[in-house]
Amino acid sequence: MSVALKSWRANEGPKHLIVTVWVAVNVCLFWRTFMLYFSGAQYYYLHKMLGLGLCISRASASVLNLNCSLVLLPMCRSLLTFIRGSQRVTGRCVRRLLDKSKTFHVACGVTICIFSVVHVSAHLVNMVSFSVRYSEDFPALNVAQYRGQDPRILIISTVPGVTGVLLVLVLFLMFTASSYCIRVSNYEIFWYTHNLFIVFYIILMVHVAGGALKYQSNVEAHPPGCTHSNLSSWTNHKAAGEKGAEFAGAPQTVCQEEARFQPHFPQTWLWVSAPLCLYCAERLYRFIRSSAAPVTVVSVVSHPCDVVELRMLKSGFKPRPGQYILLNCPSVSSFENHPFTLTTCPTVKNETFGIHLRVLGDWTSSFSQLLLQKPNSSEILPMMQQRRYPTVHVDGPFGSPSEEVFNYEVSLCVAGGIGVTPFACVLQALFDDWRQYKLRRLYFVWVCRDLQSFYWFADLLCGLHERLWRDNRPDYLNVQLYLSNTQRLQSIGEERYRFLSSRLRIGRPKWKLLFQEIGRANQLKRVGVFCCGPKGISKALHTLCNSNPHTGTAFEYNKESFS
Amino acid sequence: MGKIEWAMWANEQALAAGLIYATGGIVGVAGQFRGWQFAAFGIAAGVFVCLLEYPRSKRGKGTSVERTGQYCFTVCVKAFGPLTRNYYVRAFLHAALCVPGGFMLATVLGCVCLGIASLIYLSAAIHGEHWEPILPRTEPTKRVGDSIKEPPQNPPPRPPPELRRKKADKLETAAYDNPMSVTVNE
Repeated sequence: MSVALKSWRANEGPKHLIVTVWVAVNVCLFWRTFMLYFSGAQYYYLHKMLGLGLCISRASASVLNLNCSLVLLPMCRSLLTFIRGSQRVTGRCVRRLLDKSKTFHVACGVTICIFSVVHVSAHLVNMVSFSVRYSEDFPALNVAQYRGQDPRILIISTVPGVTGVLLVLVLFLMFTASSYCIRVSNYEIFWYTHNLFIVFYIILMVHVAGGALKYQSNVEAHPPGCTHSNLSSWTNHKAAGEKGAEFAGAPQTVCQEEARFQPHFPQTWLWVSAPLCLYCAERLYRFIRSSAAPVTVVSVVSHPCDVVELRMLKSGFKPRPGQYILLNCPSVSSFENHPFTLTTCPTVKNETFGIHLRVLGDWTSSFSQLLLQKPNSSEILPMMQQRRYPTVHVDGPFGSPSEEVFNYEVSLCVAGGIGVTPFACVLQALFDDWRQYKLRRLYFVWVCRDLQSFYWFADLLCGLHERLWRDNRPDYLNVQLYLSNTQRLQSIGEERYRFLSSRLRIGRPKWKLLFQEIGRANQLKRVGVFCCGPKGISKALHTLCNSNPHTGTAFEYNKESFS
Repeated sequence: MGKIEWAMWANEQALAAGLIYATGGIVGVAGQFRGWQFAAFGIAAGVFVCLLEYPRSKRGKGTSVERTGQYCFTVCVKAFGPLTRNYYVRAFLHAALCVPGGFMLATVLGCVCLGIASLIYLSAAIHGEHWEPILPRTEPTKRVGDSIKEPPQNPPPRPPPELRRKKADKLETAAYDNPMSVTVNE
């Protein structure tokens, strides 16, 4: 059981630590702001007018400040790729935390929504209080123009009110389009509404500059609850009767001057401006980088099962194995960027890089039609004919968890269908030079529904196997292919793929047995488990990584996530 | 841009708007503010919208993901036939339900959100979408058994009887004499 604890600590520990710290910071911020408005001297009169609504609305506003600034940071992808790449500076723990950046972004986003609801409700109550408890003694404190003014007029006529309503609408649009279902089926709705974030932030900056809530600026000269000879009976009675206990010893001091009120400096500007500038700079950098050097399409190869391989050339493009790029084709759609993992990285011998794209949706089908227009497109074209390919922009490269495969001594890579692409790049890098990496043994499990899918990388797998046999490392690569479709009896018949046909199994893999085998063969080692495939497989692997009760092997789980 | 299914987004919005509407209504009734009758209507309308929108429609192309426990809601909504199938009806229904919310402060937000959802439903209806229930498949898929070997349906082909008679003069090789030539299976 202690081994499972070691695995669990490696897999879940840092994640839970960060979440605990984040929740603690939020709670602390909420509590401090709440107490400040509840018992601070400079908010005494405002608190008496508005009550609990003031404290709750300001406390939730401070939590919103924090989360609105944190929500942008996990989306600075180039920065995260840079942090991931600087391996001497950051340890594996930090790099594995970077895998969870999108989850953190979602958590901050959900917190923003929840606390917006709290903030809006509290301010609605404040509107009613402003209207009902209109103060004649301190007219500067009022937002309403007269007692009993309709609170809805207050919302429409004040800057914070109008901007608040707009902010809620934008947030509503962004939130409802971000559910998993919509991202999977209609990514464009999600993308275009999420880009309304810039509108959200601009309106937010205006919202906090409204200055509806004021603090008292001369607390020393006019201590709250002091008596004034010209003051109405309201303050005198209240101060003497109810609040006497609070200001024991000071309720009878005489005010030297009238209370003066001033609106706050908008603190949100300090919170939000730095991450917003960072994110905008990052987007600008990505745009410049993607449009600076042109991309030439070198070759297009059509593979079985609707897969197209695209080879391209771009100067100054140096990705690492396992990274992905965003592809944009203006002839298909000007604003859509689609992520594809690189399957071939540029090397000294061959400077082209390649992707394998599976034709599934409308963008990929139009793009592949544009690429495969010519009858025989499986040869490298001479320069003058390359003009027939559409222009393509490449944004990236961006880091992904699969880069870590080389940093373990033993790695298990599980791929489902087209999810093999990050591992194909890894295999290609091993084929070029396997000696320079820390990796000593690689278990490669590939589960497909259709036999023809294995032909995508059959040559690569057989070539790597032969290379390793020649270099006297036959135990380096362990390949298991699974065909999960059991309807027909299928096998790989070609002679040159004998290596694969003898490792092809029909049916689904039995993960527990596989883990036992790996654990027994690699005792006291740390095995990196990498999964790129459907949710069922990744869930099963995750639970097994945390709960394997045998041998002294620790399994560290890394998952590649699609949208 | 391709074919976008507006109805899916409108469904998410309407569900969220129904919740906001009902919450605003609860706040309005609990505080007994002025115009709390509108808040009470808001609760009823919000709950009704949530129940109507909970079952997801089947997607035109691709796999549909159900919400948990939506089967009973699907059956109820399906029973209304063309009223719930048509998105024009839904758009106007949501527009009509959201109007009373504008008269009370607590339900104003629910009113605006439901109004936006109604507009998106109108857009979905103009694009010709309609609501399809997600029903479980009634006929079970043919299970192939654990072994992949299927038993042969017919006996192996036999040559005609005159060839089957073994030659009596070559007794020692008769046992191994194949009546038909055996070739390697391609």
